[in-house]
Amino acid sequence: MTIQLESGDRLKQILDRLVEMSKKDYYNPYQIFDWPESLPEHQYWMSPELMSVHGTEAAKDLTEEQLWAISRWESINFYSLNVDGIRELITEIINRIHTKEFEVSSEYFHHMVGEENEHMWFFATFCLKYGGKFYPDKGIKLSSDFTGPAAHFMVFARLLMFEEIVDFFNKKMGTDERLHPTIRQVNFIHHQDESRHVAFGRQICSLLHSQLRDTANAEELAEIERYLKLYLRKSIDSLVNPAVYRDAGIPEPYQFRNKVLADPAFKELEKRILKRSMSYLISEGILSDDELPAA
Amino acid sequence: MSAGIDVVLEYLKAKRPDLESIPDDLDLIENRVLDSLGFVNFLYVLEEQTGREISMDEVTPEDFRTVQAIRRRFFDDAVNAGH
Repeated sequence: MTIQLESGDRLKQILDRLVEMSKKDYYNPYQIFDWPESLPEHQYWMSPELMSVHGTEAAKDLTEEQLWAISRWESINFYSLNVDGIRELITEIINRIHTKEFEVSSEYFHHMVGEENEHMWFFATFCLKYGGKFYPDKGIKLSSDFTGPAAHFMVFARLLMFEEIVDFFNKKMGTDERLHPTIRQVNFIHHQDESRHVAFGRQICSLLHSQLRDTANAEELAEIERYLKLYLRKSIDSLVNPAVYRDAGIPEPYQFRNKVLADPAFKELEKRILKRSMSYLISEGILSDDELPAA
Repeated sequence: MSAGIDVVLEYLKAKRPDLESIPDDLDLIENRVLDSLGFVNFLYVLEEQTGREISMDEVTPEDFRTVQAIRRRFFDDAVNAGH
């Protein structure tokens, strides 16, 4: 598969612009952050409305101290997911940089890899400094992946969805005055950089999918849709981690998780998180509807 | 721990209601009862039923290939004592 020049002309212009923006906005992450020795425990570390338990029946009997504790550990889970997601992103981009198929985007890939490496560093620093750990990735590779053009599309679609989901949180928490300045800063800076990565991700996903539509049959396109929906389901479910509830001192953390996942309030949060992505995926013909499989 | 493996089996059956039954030796991965994207939710069911967190450093896909393998690896205390 090659990214055809005629359809890639617009992509090339966008890439040139993104490279210029990356150069202009470049900063040294190792110097700009204030890392206080500790963060206050008696306050929220996430915007309360973005917590998994917000508005759920399961949270009705929780004290504010318990909610603070959940927000603390849920934020460590969120940044741990970022570290895992960025590891995958960097690996996949490195696998493609300066290969013939991705000649046109390789210059920008250098900026992406560099920026993502720095994001990973500040998320990891946050986890280790204020949580003393990461929540480990519980995934395992069981099934064979797509091959050829479908594999390229799926990689960039996964990366885009990951970035858009994360950005939903970063955008809000980056300006939430209720949060500690360090928490705001980590989220704000990530949101700034991710807007470029999301712009690139949308362009390349649209291009790769339009090329796939020319070559893949209906059954293959349906399988891509099925897989992408399962990926979105997994991504949303991973925001709700029983180990977070256990660390926050919630009894029966697995049952608590099941209750949260089944609660209409969480379904509402899920819709809000995915609204922008769903709208894009449907308008591009990548998904035919916004119905995700059950957890 | 027999109740635990029964709950795990019920979970797998609920995921694939089209299968009449899930024999002990059915390849869960080949038959797409278990897949990578649904794995974490399955793992949490397993953790809840075994009462302990499962470290991904200590397992391989083979540990999840059949119900028999899952029973041996996670529910048979005599075998687990050797791990």
